[in-house]
Amino acid sequence: MARFRYLARKVAWLAVTLYGVVTFNFLLFHVLPGNPVRLLARSGHLTPQTVADITKVYGLNHPLGEQYLIYLRGLLHGQLGLSYTYREPVGTLLGQYLGNTVLLLAGATVLTIVLGTGVGVVAANLRGSKYDSATVTTSVIGWALPTFWTGLILAFVLGVWLHAFPIFGEQTPNAIYTSSLQRFEDIAAHLFLPTLTLVVVNIAQFVLVARASVIEVLSEDFMTTAIAKGLTPRRILWRHAVRNAMLPIVTSSALLIGLVVAGAIEVETVYSWPGMGLLVYNAVLDRDYPVIEGAFLVFAIVVLLVNFASDLLYQALDPRVREA
Amino acid sequence: MSAESNRREFMKRAGLLALTVPAAATVLDACASVATSAKASTIRVGWAIEPDTMNPLTTYSTEAVEVLQLIYDNLIHTGLDLKPEPGLATSWSYSTDGKSITYQLRKATWHDGKPFTSADAGFTFELIKSKQVSQYAQWVTDLTSAETPDPATLVLHFAKPQAFNPGLAVPIIPQHIWQSMSASQIQKFANSRPVGTGPYRFVNWIKGQSIEISRNETWWGTRPAAQKVTWILFQNEDVMAQSLRTGAVDICPEIPPTIWDGLAGAQNVKAVSMPSFSFHHIGINVSENPKSGGNPLLKDRVIRQALSYAVDRKQLVDVALAGHGIPGSTLLPAGFGEWHLDIPLSQQYNANQGKAKALLDAAGYTLRNGSSVRTSKDGKPLTFRLIAIQSTSVDVAAAQLFRDACAKVGIQLNLTTLDANSLGNTVYNSKAPDWDIFVWGWDTGVYDPDYLLGVPLCNQIGSNNDVYYCNRHYDQLYDEQATELDHATRRALVHQAQQFYYDDAAYIIMWYQDKLQGYRTDTWTGWTEVNGGIILNFTRDNYLKARPV
Repeated sequence: MARFRYLARKVAWLAVTLYGVVTFNFLLFHVLPGNPVRLLARSGHLTPQTVADITKVYGLNHPLGEQYLIYLRGLLHGQLGLSYTYREPVGTLLGQYLGNTVLLLAGATVLTIVLGTGVGVVAANLRGSKYDSATVTTSVIGWALPTFWTGLILAFVLGVWLHAFPIFGEQTPNAIYTSSLQRFEDIAAHLFLPTLTLVVVNIAQFVLVARASVIEVLSEDFMTTAIAKGLTPRRILWRHAVRNAMLPIVTSSALLIGLVVAGAIEVETVYSWPGMGLLVYNAVLDRDYPVIEGAFLVFAIVVLLVNFASDLLYQALDPRVREA
Repeated sequence: MSAESNRREFMKRAGLLALTVPAAATVLDACASVATSAKASTIRVGWAIEPDTMNPLTTYSTEAVEVLQLIYDNLIHTGLDLKPEPGLATSWSYSTDGKSITYQLRKATWHDGKPFTSADAGFTFELIKSKQVSQYAQWVTDLTSAETPDPATLVLHFAKPQAFNPGLAVPIIPQHIWQSMSASQIQKFANSRPVGTGPYRFVNWIKGQSIEISRNETWWGTRPAAQKVTWILFQNEDVMAQSLRTGAVDICPEIPPTIWDGLAGAQNVKAVSMPSFSFHHIGINVSENPKSGGNPLLKDRVIRQALSYAVDRKQLVDVALAGHGIPGSTLLPAGFGEWHLDIPLSQQYNANQGKAKALLDAAGYTLRNGSSVRTSKDGKPLTFRLIAIQSTSVDVAAAQLFRDACAKVGIQLNLTTLDANSLGNTVYNSKAPDWDIFVWGWDTGVYDPDYLLGVPLCNQIGSNNDVYYCNRHYDQLYDEQATELDHATRRALVHQAQQFYYDDAAYIIMWYQDKLQGYRTDTWTGWTEVNGGIILNFTRDNYLKARPV
């Protein structure tokens, strides 16, 4: 019962936060200077009448309060509005771009977290060794590399000089696939460089966090107890030390996943990957309010859900959180 | 215990899988080239700006028009010699008073199989006139009626003679698809399956990635060699240029100067530079609106001419544009050939700081009390705000040079940069334009002086007119040329209008930038260099005439 009440309270908070985010987004982008219709009208000889008509089509002739109510009503009906630039429903657009983002970032994120943690744990176990100092140095260098630059260098070396991987897009334009396996291979080839870039620049935080956290646990008394009990070193490390060192890694992961849905705009720009980052960036420049609001809603939902999930995960991992 | 070891086994396998995916990718580059064996039959264009919509009436983007001009035919097209050539109209003639144009139409079929008739053409013009939702509405302002005496004849009647033939600008759309739509339905219509009569059919548009069209085998004209045309969107111009080098694209219609310079000597790539139909200018707020926040001193032509004298266009081109352009003067870029008024260098308000100072001194704007900024007789300083678009680096560089040049003649400019939309909103706030001087540019969608000459008209205030210039004499010159059918007389009027506006100096036209393009020489051949560019121009013929190597 207490557990149910806890969950109910969390879910209620989720709803309130979401409503706050929706309202804040709406206000933020409508208060900004800049009129989307004016931007459209710049490229042609439009009569004032035409400009007024376009304004009306997008509902921008209503006062702000009314626009807000219209927006909320649309949301409740699952409508995110019509993109000013593409003149298509925002839901359709978000679907396409979000799909691409998930395709790129799911793999890269899992690789980053799993590889980073693994390397960090091994380094902690061998602390002071050559492997350890090499790992730390490499991580710090990786952490310091600017994403954009790393992407371009990898694209030029592996894409242009060695001709090993495609450097733009999500699949070969115009490709005619004889089988779905061939299509899968084409997409995998296009995924390689952006994934590599993301892993290189993001992995350091997991290596360093995992290493520091495991070292801390290894110096605690119950480790000595475990050794005294005669457990194998492998079991001591992975079962006793790592499990207790997981909390900071879960926190970092939740933060990374939250960032990740927003797209990896630099990587998307280098590799012309049509993901959320670029969609939002262009929408901001074009004052495409419906797209921005829709995208931010998606981001908010994901961030809230990931945090919710990590709260639950804390409980599973650490009895102290459960009892508190 | 066993459950745990199973989990470890699983993790191991998952790890292996993650490692093999990239390894497999190396192998498949070979497969990828199998996947693109359609290469020789497809023209692959690399560009960095995505079209806005496939709706030919509501689009505002040059890129969308580039795609749509191959899907929809006009009555008349612009050839590679920039002269009119038959489209859906095989011939056309003007009535003696110049107020009616009769088009003889050919037999053609819409992409959905329905026959094209004069009713479709008449419908297109009347729809644009009545609904006013399209940028093409400007070409039918004087249209009174569209008459279709038989399925192969269209007669357009106008209130005034028409020097510019609107058949050149308007894409013809099918009546059976568009007839039931209201203005707001048209505005919201994405036209995701465009149906035209043109040489190519629409295949797909993958947002953020590419657009593809394929040859219309039943088109009325000579069948183009390319089975498909694909436009590939790049988010990064460096990678775009690299893809031209590696052969992933065949032609890039818009390459930034420094990257274009880097293409020199690339294997199997030709970098070409052509005059364009665009200019960048410094615009000065001359609004007579009492609510205008512009500095009223700028309404004095002497100050505007002094500003113009202060700056050296050649230096602007050399420094800001890395030399890729022609120093500017009048409203019509040099690419327009005979329409462009060539003002002798000695008569230009250009690069003469002595003259600028003399003008200001004579008009009583002098340096008083040891200040470095001139003041008017009633003590107002010649200090103005200057705004430019942050992301347009050439404009920002030019604005800095302009500011420094003006400081030397005693005029102080305070430069701020804004994003494109904010600048547009500041400049185009026609109710109360609160700014002094800005930098940006114009280009034209048709090969005719009309569009650019029309920008400073009184009736364009609230629309294109970005400096709120309004002069009855200029309007009259514009109207005369727009209704003058005799070529030589019209040219003389067009020249007069340019000279008049140049002398009034509400625009300081900095340069006519070059169109920098590049194409591969080992895939397609037969590209003709033409003013405005091989492609991304108002002639579509290079797409139709390219041949595989």
